[in-house]
Amino acid sequence: MSESGAPRVLDDAVWEEVVEATRGMAAPCFQCGVCTAVCPWGLVQAEPVSVRRLVRLAQLGVERWGEAIWRCTTCGACEALCPRGVPVSEVLLALRQLAWKRRSVPKGLSTMLWAVHWDGNPWDQPPSARTAWSRGLDVPAFTGEQEILLYVGCTATYDRRSQKVARSLARLLGASGVSFGVLPDEPCCGEAVRVVGQEGYLAEVVEATSRRFRDAGVRRLVALSPHCFDMFRTRYPFDGEIEVLHSTELLARLVDEGRLGFAKNVAATVTYHDPCYLGRRHGLYDPPRRLLAAIPGVTVVEMSSSREDALCCGGGGGRMWLETEAGERFGDLRVRQAEEAGAEVLATSCPFCVLCLEDSAKGLDGRLRVLDLSELACQALGEGRGDS
Amino acid sequence: MRPLDTVVCVKVVPKPEEVSVDPETRTLDRARARSELNPPDMNAIEMALALRERHGGTVSLLSMGPPFAAPYLQVGLAMGADSAYLLSDRAFAGADTLATSYTLAKGIEKIGGWDLILCGEESSDGATGQVPQGIAEWLGASQITFATSLAVRADGRLVGEREIRGGHEVIAVPLPAVVSVKLGVNEPRFMDMERRHSAAPVTVWGAGDLGVDPAWLGFEGSPTAVGAVWQARTRERRREFLEGTPQEKGRLLAERLRALLAL
Repeated sequence: MSESGAPRVLDDAVWEEVVEATRGMAAPCFQCGVCTAVCPWGLVQAEPVSVRRLVRLAQLGVERWGEAIWRCTTCGACEALCPRGVPVSEVLLALRQLAWKRRSVPKGLSTMLWAVHWDGNPWDQPPSARTAWSRGLDVPAFTGEQEILLYVGCTATYDRRSQKVARSLARLLGASGVSFGVLPDEPCCGEAVRVVGQEGYLAEVVEATSRRFRDAGVRRLVALSPHCFDMFRTRYPFDGEIEVLHSTELLARLVDEGRLGFAKNVAATVTYHDPCYLGRRHGLYDPPRRLLAAIPGVTVVEMSSSREDALCCGGGGGRMWLETEAGERFGDLRVRQAEEAGAEVLATSCPFCVLCLEDSAKGLDGRLRVLDLSELACQALGEGRGDS
Repeated sequence: MRPLDTVVCVKVVPKPEEVSVDPETRTLDRARARSELNPPDMNAIEMALALRERHGGTVSLLSMGPPFAAPYLQVGLAMGADSAYLLSDRAFAGADTLATSYTLAKGIEKIGGWDLILCGEESSDGATGQVPQGIAEWLGASQITFATSLAVRADGRLVGEREIRGGHEVIAVPLPAVVSVKLGVNEPRFMDMERRHSAAPVTVWGAGDLGVDPAWLGFEGSPTAVGAVWQARTRERRREFLEGTPQEKGRLLAERLRALLAL
């Protein structure tokens, strides 16, 4: 029955199209509605997104999903609790694929894709400025000789705030003596392409980027952003040829091995925000916390929801390229949780999280600082401030 | 309303931030520059595809350039254009806007059967903005320049809006017409990947295919003489950052502005 009460006839052609796009992933859903209950949109909207209904529509092949499919931040909160193991965000990304075919796509996303196509990054920045973030730092070009390719990612490469994270990470790697380099023509991982539902174009990006890594002789790659990390670890056909780590995994390992030590006290009460693509997506809850615990002087507190239950910052799933109305930003709730936990510093390890949370923290009159773990750790190196 | 057959003239240009100026040859050094489809041409393609959705008909792409331009026309085909033509011949090289508009007009005549020609307002490398008008003159067609929107009225006239100081004007012209499209008036749709893998090949025509007068082609047919070119000096920014809470930063910024404006 449609909402108007009149019966709807299911369209076999659409149903087949939806089943093909979703690869049948919606089928196991038995409509318990846990997904709707835990979706963070329910925290900020009077009429929350009915995730259950979207999955049901996908099962039936009924095209009434509307703009709600573009709200999903792919945070995975629903997937963590789904008793049927439905990869809900994958289902929604498949519906986005169909929305492209019907030209029913929010403004701005085509422009973002063109930026990836013409400039090799979703931020519409010139490829010639790829290494500008490292100006004044000793960051060598990757030659194939070094142990590690540091994959900075488009956001930390071009966004001014996120560049500070990249600079801090480069300093930490330098201090640990690990041999690393960056590609001056670093190619885009394609995460932004994937999450807006452009599977076909993504295949082109993945092929080009894989080829560049193979040509460069990359054996081990450390990604700054959990989003790039997720792409390389699970969605690239490396077949074990390239080991993929997130920066917090590497840094925690360097601390454990005694290769990275901190001399300076950083007296601060710190809480850690789990980025969705490290925590729920990859179970990496502990390496960032080990790194945090190694910083002298830091008092760690946990927020009311953390680890598996962590609240999303709102920046995933392509939302960085879409406008989120004031009052509907998850980050506003997250920074309040941090404040309630008694934190002076909200630390995280994802450029999207830093940007979203810092934006929200502006409403707290400077009572809460938002830092990437690399920036915090850099302050403890004893070489002055993390970044200048 | 009968279907509308549109030809969109596009140019492959070097990315602006990657070119340098060669004062010796008085040309742009684009040897190390990556290329792209001229941005307002992308808006023209989008406008043509949107008109086709409304009125039916066809969208053809036309470009003059070296053979390396062909893959860029494929991009336009993947966006939804029906066919693409590349005018490529050594005899076309060194053309100014007169010779370029002549060659493109000859290409349009060879495509034939057109109602509407769309061009970007200007190219990001040459920036003369003269080619669309030139094409209209060669073809004896009506023209609307710097259009922000286009529609075909029930009486078959083409209605275009253009921005003018303090407002906008609406111009109605009979078809066939040539229209130059303002940069940024729409969001060019991204490529359809199924089309990208299956789109028609680009048809390449040389001077011999067009029935042209060689005296009007390329360097020989170009009366324009470039007196001098030089690189504009980029202004050095002060790169000062204000520290503090948003409120403090706001106060500091107001102080700076007050001092600069001597209020």
